[in-house]
Amino acid sequence: MAEIKVGKYTVLSDLLYTETDEWVRLEGDIATVGITDYAQKKLRDIVGIELPEVGREFNSGDSIGVVESVKAAVDIYAPLSGKVCQVNEELTSSPELMNLDPYGKGWIFKLKCNNVNEKVKLMNAEKYVEKIQKGE
Amino acid sequence: MFVSPLFEVEEKLGANFGEFAGWNMPMTYSSYQEEHLAVRNSVAIFDLSHMGRLRVKGRAEELEELIAKELNGSPGQMIGPTAFLNDKGGFIDDVMTYKVSDSEFLLVTNAVNREKVIKWIRSNSSLDVEDLTFSLVMIAIQGKRVKETFNVDEIPRMTFKLNANYMGMDVFLLSRSGWTGEDGIEIWAEPEVAGKIFTKLTQSGVKPAGLVTRDSIRQEMGYLLYGEDIDESVTPVESRYWVFSLSKGFVGKDAIVEQLRNGVSKIRFGFKMKKGLRIIPRNGMEVTSLGSKVGYVTSSTFSPFLNRVIGMGYISPQHFFLGYSTTVEIRGRTYEIKMDDFPFI
Repeated sequence: MAEIKVGKYTVLSDLLYTETDEWVRLEGDIATVGITDYAQKKLRDIVGIELPEVGREFNSGDSIGVVESVKAAVDIYAPLSGKVCQVNEELTSSPELMNLDPYGKGWIFKLKCNNVNEKVKLMNAEKYVEKIQKGE
Repeated sequence: MFVSPLFEVEEKLGANFGEFAGWNMPMTYSSYQEEHLAVRNSVAIFDLSHMGRLRVKGRAEELEELIAKELNGSPGQMIGPTAFLNDKGGFIDDVMTYKVSDSEFLLVTNAVNREKVIKWIRSNSSLDVEDLTFSLVMIAIQGKRVKETFNVDEIPRMTFKLNANYMGMDVFLLSRSGWTGEDGIEIWAEPEVAGKIFTKLTQSGVKPAGLVTRDSIRQEMGYLLYGEDIDESVTPVESRYWVFSLSKGFVGKDAIVEQLRNGVSKIRFGFKMKKGLRIIPRNGMEVTSLGSKVGYVTSSTFSPFLNRVIGMGYISPQHFFLGYSTTVEIRGRTYEIKMDDFPFI
């Protein structure tokens, strides 16, 4: 998987992205979701997370949880519609994993998607790089 | 926006910069949690160049009239913290005061209030105010192991020396002080000298620390931050910030005397959340007692040293039940916060 560097931020080439700085890894109808390197660097030290309940259904764009950093609390949003099938419980005691390894151990939840075709609404890596560049 | 003269030194050390009170300053280097623990268990160095540094010359009586604490004490002593108050007793600024002589004082103001304090002194006295903020850098070396970097016994606590020597370099001011609750020294020096000290110390293992750490450290001690916990509408009595002496006259004294006689309608309190709960109440969130609104939060953070969320705010004095768990509303949910007193460590 290729890493793209945008200044001090890393974007991964094979992931999809949201306007609200979540990344999505689609495998079949399962979407793994986390916050991007750009998002974690903007939030700085993350100290807590409110995870969604497993089994709950969300529409794309719904607030699904909250990330607490020393700076602010920000909502995380469901990038696609579906049912939460797994959450990363390790983040409850080690939320700093979202800072240390945002695309790996810092994943937040997995969603069983209702309709994977919704992915057309998400950005590819190239578009996300442009978004970061515009935001800087 | 102002930039610290140590920007390049700090950038090399991996600083993440952010805006604070109109200054671009290091917020964190590695992680604030590691930096925080370095202050508590070892030693760390901060850049405080954003803080206002003023030299005030003239008749001490004129400064006495404006500042809430007595300035009697010998030259070389620090008087502080103290404050400039308005006539309602509210904080114009809380400041650290250094007595150079009977007719010369140095002041450290909050970054956000530097210009306001200069104007306040000039418009209310004939004192001469010189702004040293942009010609000198301020750094602080804080933590138990500060002794390994410097023979601290040369300066007793809360005293200072001018034109001192630190690590073989000439510095404008060297004081045994800080804002961390740990032993420490603070230095005012020319940018080049301060840069050398910063580089040498970090190379020898002193941890560079940013303003996020300064914030979590001060909250453990219950120290107040202007703009968050105090402002022009809050008095020293309400904030339990004992920065005044009633044995003399000063602007704001009447309001303070009135509150000490008749009481206050809000009082500052500290709180801790349950261990394991990683939710931070934010400035302005409501504090409730069985559903009634009784106060509000002003500061809160996660303390890496106590491994729990701590904070402070204001509460109606009739609901100041020390040791009792009252509640705070966060995003529609109610969480317990246990009222506790400072310092937390």
